Amino acid sequence: MTIKIITVMLIGLGAGLAVGAGFVAILTVFGIIPRLMQITKTNSKIRSYEISIITGVLFSSWYGLRDYTISSSQWLLIPIGLASGTFIGMLAAALTEVLNVLPVLMKRVGFKEQVLILLMAILFGKVIGSLFHWIFFVHL
Amino acid sequence: MEVEAVYLRMRHRLLCSPGQTIRIKDLAQLVGPEDVIQEIGHMIVHKITVQDKTIVIIDLMEVLKTIRKKIPLLDIQTVGTPQTIIEVQYKRPKITGVYFVIVWILLFIGAALAIMNFHEDVSMQQVHQKIYYLVTGRRNDYPLLLQVPYSIGLGLGMVLFFNHIFKKRFNEEPSPLEVEMFNYQQDLDQYVIMNENKENEKKAHDD
Repeated sequence: MTIKIITVMLIGLGAGLAVGAGFVAILTVFGIIPRLMQITKTNSKIRSYEISIITGVLFSSWYGLRDYTISSSQWLLIPIGLASGTFIGMLAAALTEVLNVLPVLMKRVGFKEQVLILLMAILFGKVIGSLFHWIFFVHL
Repeated sequence: MEVEAVYLRMRHRLLCSPGQTIRIKDLAQLVGPEDVIQEIGHMIVHKITVQDKTIVIIDLMEVLKTIRKKIPLLDIQTVGTPQTIIEVQYKRPKITGVYFVIVWILLFIGAALAIMNFHEDVSMQQVHQKIYYLVTGRRNDYPLLLQVPYSIGLGLGMVLFFNHIFKKRFNEEPSPLEVEMFNYQQDLDQYVIMNENKENEKKAHDD
């Protein structure tokens, strides 16, 4: 019995290590945190941003894997939704960045001046696609 | 006779129209005695022809050859890049507007589809239902109160990342997109310099 418990704990610890390391690796590749620090000019606060990420991950994995609820007001969902959307939006923007899609496309079609308008196409596409998904698509 | 030095620095990139004659003053910055510079500046290095297509590389050696033919004893000091990329700009056909609209629609629909696929892929609906339960303690299969702000946030995040609110930007720093496009252009230039310049490669084997 003890051996079983220890084995399970070891497996859990190992899986957690791998996933945690992978998560941090992805964040590093996308460079979202440096980007946010650059915009807000808060490079000195990097330690507290690290702590913020770690506590966020710990909190969500603990509460997400259990069936807890904090039975709070539903209006709390609006800031949560906005924040998670912003994060995913940055992730998506960073992903196109890493894949080098836009520079190649701009060069191919040769619209150097209208980059902003094409960027808006992607942006509105994301927002409207997402809204369409939640409002209509999930009912199909 | 005392030989005076002329300093020559090739420009990185030159835009010109088809049929233009390229003089040294277009290709390079010159510093030295006024009369010598005037003379050198007007020497012709190249004339753009249809065969040149869109990109011509003028090597520093070519410029030096031209100068030495006229003034053999001149002391020329060169600084900076050893070649100039000449981009020939042809008149664009009128259909660019149509192309633009097509690309715009393509990107719009592509982005919309990509985000929907992403949501399905990571079971975003279930995650949102779970968050709804976690916060309110009630079950809701369609937690729109969370999802509508989420969708707006998506756009906000992209704006943040690219450092643009349409025309207005948050600060002076270049956005990642601008940096990325600069890097891409550099890579292209590097390739063109190596491949369009016939002088760069020489076959030395004797078969």
